[in-house]
Amino acid sequence: MKNVTAALGRSREALKKLLPAEDILTFDFRSENGISFSCIFADPITDKQLLGEEVIRPLSRYKGEAKAEEVASKVTSPEIKREKSLEKLAAEVLAGNPVLLFEGMDEAVVAGTKKVFTRAIAEPSTDVAVKGPREGFIEDLKTNTSLIRRRFKTGELQIDTVEIGRRSKTCVSVCYLEGTSVQKTVEEVKKKLSEIDIDAVPDSSYLTHFLSSRPYSLVKQVGTTEKPDIFCAKIAEGRVGILVDGSPIALTVPYLLVEDFQSSEDYFVPPYRATFTRLLRLFAVVVAIYLPAFYVAAQLFKLQLFPVKLLLTIAGSIRDIPFSPSLEMLLVLLVLEVLNEASIRMPKYVGMALSVVGALVLGETAVSAGFVSTPAIIIIAFSGIGLYAVPNLIEQTSVLRLAMLLVAGSVGPYGIILATAFLLYYLVSTENFSAPLLAPFAPLTGRDLRDSVLKYNLGSLETRPRTLKSPNRRRLS
Amino acid sequence: MNKISTRQLYFLLACIMPAGKLLLLPTRLAEAAGNDLLFPAAACYLLEAGAVFCVLLLAERNTSLYDLLRERVGKVAAGILLALLSLFLLFAALLPLMEQRLFVQSIFYDTLPSLAAFAPFFLFAAYLCAKPLFSLGRMWDLLAPVAIAGLLGILVLSVGSAKFGALLPVGAGGGRGFLKGSAAAACWFFDAPLLLPMLGHIDAKKGTAWRGALFYLAGGGAILFYLAVFYAIYAETAVNQLFAFANTSKYFAGITVLGRIDYLFIFALALVMAFYAALPLQASVGCWTQTFRAKPLPVLLSVLFSALFFALLSLLDLRFGDVMDCISGTLFWIFPAMSAGLPLLLLLLLWRPRRA
Repeated sequence: MKNVTAALGRSREALKKLLPAEDILTFDFRSENGISFSCIFADPITDKQLLGEEVIRPLSRYKGEAKAEEVASKVTSPEIKREKSLEKLAAEVLAGNPVLLFEGMDEAVVAGTKKVFTRAIAEPSTDVAVKGPREGFIEDLKTNTSLIRRRFKTGELQIDTVEIGRRSKTCVSVCYLEGTSVQKTVEEVKKKLSEIDIDAVPDSSYLTHFLSSRPYSLVKQVGTTEKPDIFCAKIAEGRVGILVDGSPIALTVPYLLVEDFQSSEDYFVPPYRATFTRLLRLFAVVVAIYLPAFYVAAQLFKLQLFPVKLLLTIAGSIRDIPFSPSLEMLLVLLVLEVLNEASIRMPKYVGMALSVVGALVLGETAVSAGFVSTPAIIIIAFSGIGLYAVPNLIEQTSVLRLAMLLVAGSVGPYGIILATAFLLYYLVSTENFSAPLLAPFAPLTGRDLRDSVLKYNLGSLETRPRTLKSPNRRRLS
Repeated sequence: MNKISTRQLYFLLACIMPAGKLLLLPTRLAEAAGNDLLFPAAACYLLEAGAVFCVLLLAERNTSLYDLLRERVGKVAAGILLALLSLFLLFAALLPLMEQRLFVQSIFYDTLPSLAAFAPFFLFAAYLCAKPLFSLGRMWDLLAPVAIAGLLGILVLSVGSAKFGALLPVGAGGGRGFLKGSAAAACWFFDAPLLLPMLGHIDAKKGTAWRGALFYLAGGGAILFYLAVFYAIYAETAVNQLFAFANTSKYFAGITVLGRIDYLFIFALALVMAFYAALPLQASVGCWTQTFRAKPLPVLLSVLFSALFFALLSLLDLRFGDVMDCISGTLFWIFPAMSAGLPLLLLLLLWRPRRA
C-alpha cells in the first residue's frame, strides 16, 4: 500500500511498518463528535507542547465532518499540509512534523511542529573581528537563512533547498542573487549537488569534495566562512553560497585564493590600513612556508645567504647539536605540530598545562640539553605564528612548509626555487566554476586588483570583480 | 579556450625572454667585442625584433602554424617543416639548459653538487610542457613583476659601482669586433621561433605585431643597460666573470650590514629563468602536438624530451666549454638562419592581409 486509505487502522499500520523505530510514537484520540484520529510523531524531535496546543486540543473539540480540508482549517499551527503518499508522510515524521490520520478519509494532515534545537548566535571563534558584525552562523539552517534574508531585503535573493544524503536527508540551501550571480554557475552547483549520492552529510565540508574540480588537490577550491556578513558580501559580488543544515560553516563558489587573505574588518578600517594588513598576512604566510626551508638550505648548501655576524651567532649555537640541520628542524617542526594538534583537542584547563610543558620543558630544556639550537626554535616559532595569520589556509600551508623543508634539506636552495615554480604553475592551472584560483593576479585583471591584496577606497570599487563574470557588473553608481 | 592574451605575450617578450640573456651572454660578448659589447647585442636584438614582428604578423591570422602550412604546402610538407622546427628548438634548448645548470651549481651551492641537484628541473620541465598554453600565459602574468623586480633590484644595487668610462673609446674593436660579437651572441637569440608553435593560440589583434616587437626591444633595452653596467664594473676583467649578474650587486655598500639581500633578486630571476629554460622544450612539444593532435602526446613527449635532455646533460657534464665553442663558434649561423630567416620566409609564404 503506497497511499493513505479511509480505514484508519490500515493506514496507521502501514505507516508504522515504514517507521518501526521505538521512538516513533502513536497517540490516538477522538473528537467531540466521535471521529477517531491517530497522531504519529517522532518523540525526540517533535515539540509535544505545540502539538498538544495547536493540533490535539482544537481537534479534540472538533464537531465537523471527517474532511481533510475542514480538519486542516481547525489546526492552529501555521505550517499545515495535506498528503496522501505514505512514503512522504514517513519522511515528514522523521523531519519532526507529526502526521494526523483520521477515520473515513484517504488523506493525512501534516502539522509543522518540529522541535528546533539551536544554540545562541555567537561570534565564531575562528573569525573574530574587532570592528564589524559579530554574528556567526549556527547549526540550524533556518536560523542561518534568516540571517541572510535579514541582510537582503530583496526578492532577487533566491534560496533553493535540496535534500542530500540517502539516510541523513540533509537540507542544503543554495543561495544567490538572481541577476547578479552567473546562472551557469548556479546551475552547475545545483547539478553537482544533485549528483551527490552519499549516505549522510554531517557537515558542509563533505560537499567541498563534490564541488571541487580537482577533489584530491592540496589547494582549496571552495570558499568557507562562518560569518553571515562575509557570506552576504560574497553573494553580493556574484558568488553562489551553500548552507548545510547541521553545519555552521557556509560554502561559497567560485573561490579565489586571495579571499583568504582578506578579512571582513578590512572593509571597516581605512583602505591604507587594510592594504597594510593584507600585505602583512601575505608576508606572514610566505615567511611561515619558506623561512625554515631557507634556514636549512643556507646551513647545508650556501652559508653566504647569512650575513656574517648572524652566521657567527648561528655557528655558535649549532656547534654541539647532534642532529643535521634538516633533521633538527624537522624534529622541532613535528613537536610543534603535535603540540598544536594536542592543544586544540585538549580540554581548556589541560591545554594551559600543555602550553607550559611545550614552552618550558620542550623548548627551554631541549635547548639547554643541547638537542636543538635556539635559532631553530625561534624560526619554527615564528613560522608557527605566521601560519595563523591566515587561519583558513592552515591545512594547506602547514603541508607546504613541511614539503619545502624536505626539499631544502635534500636538494638545497635550487630545490626551493623549483618547488615554488611547480607550486605556482599548479596554482595557475587550477580553476573551479570557470574562475582561475590565482585571479586577479593570473590572469591579470587590473580592475580587480583594487580589492585583492591591495584595498582601494570603497568609492573606487564601483564594479563587481570581473573574474566572477557577473551579468550585473555595476555595484556603485 | 587555450589562448594567450596579447598582454601575456608582451610580458613574455619584455620581461621573461630578457632573463635568459643574463647568464653567460655578457661574458661571451665581453670576450668577443670588448668594450663595444653593446653594439653586437643591439644588432642581435634589432634582428630578433624584426623576426618577432614577422611571427606576430602571422599570429594575426589566428591559425596554427601547422594549419597555415598545410593550406599552402600540404599535410606532409607541413609535418616535415614542423619536425625540423622542433629539432631546431631542441638544439637551441641545449645551451640555455647547460648554462642554467652551471649557474645553479656555482651560485646556489658552496660545494659542487651532483647532477641530482639539477635533476628536479627536468621533472618541472616535463610538467610544464604537458600543461596547456593558457597556464603558461597566466604564469607570465605572475612572473612579469617578479622579473622586473629582480632585474631592477640587481641594477639598482649594481649601478653605484659602475664606472661607465670603461665603455670608451667607442668602436675600438672595429667591424671585426662587431661581427665576432654578433656571431658569439647569436646562439642566445632564438626567441621568434619560440613563438611559432604558439600561433593560433595567441589572441592577436591588429597592431599586435609592432607592439610585440616594441615590447621585445624594451626588454632588450634593459639588457643593454645591464650589459653596460656589467662592463662598467668589471672592464677588462669582464671576460672572466661568469654569471656576473649574481655578483655585480655584492659591491653595494649596504650588503656588508644587511647581508646578501641581493640574493632575493637573484632568487626571483632564477625562478623566471627556470620557466625560460623550459620554454624551448615546451615549444618543441607544441610542434608535434599540433601536427598529430593525439591526446596523450604532450605528456609522452614532455617526459621523453625531459629525459633526453637529462641524459644529454649527464653525458656532456664536463664538456660545457666544448659544446659552447661548437654551438657559438662553428654552428652559430644556424641561429640567425632559423630565428630570423625562417620567420621571414614563413611570412613571405603564408601572410595574407586580414579581411575587413
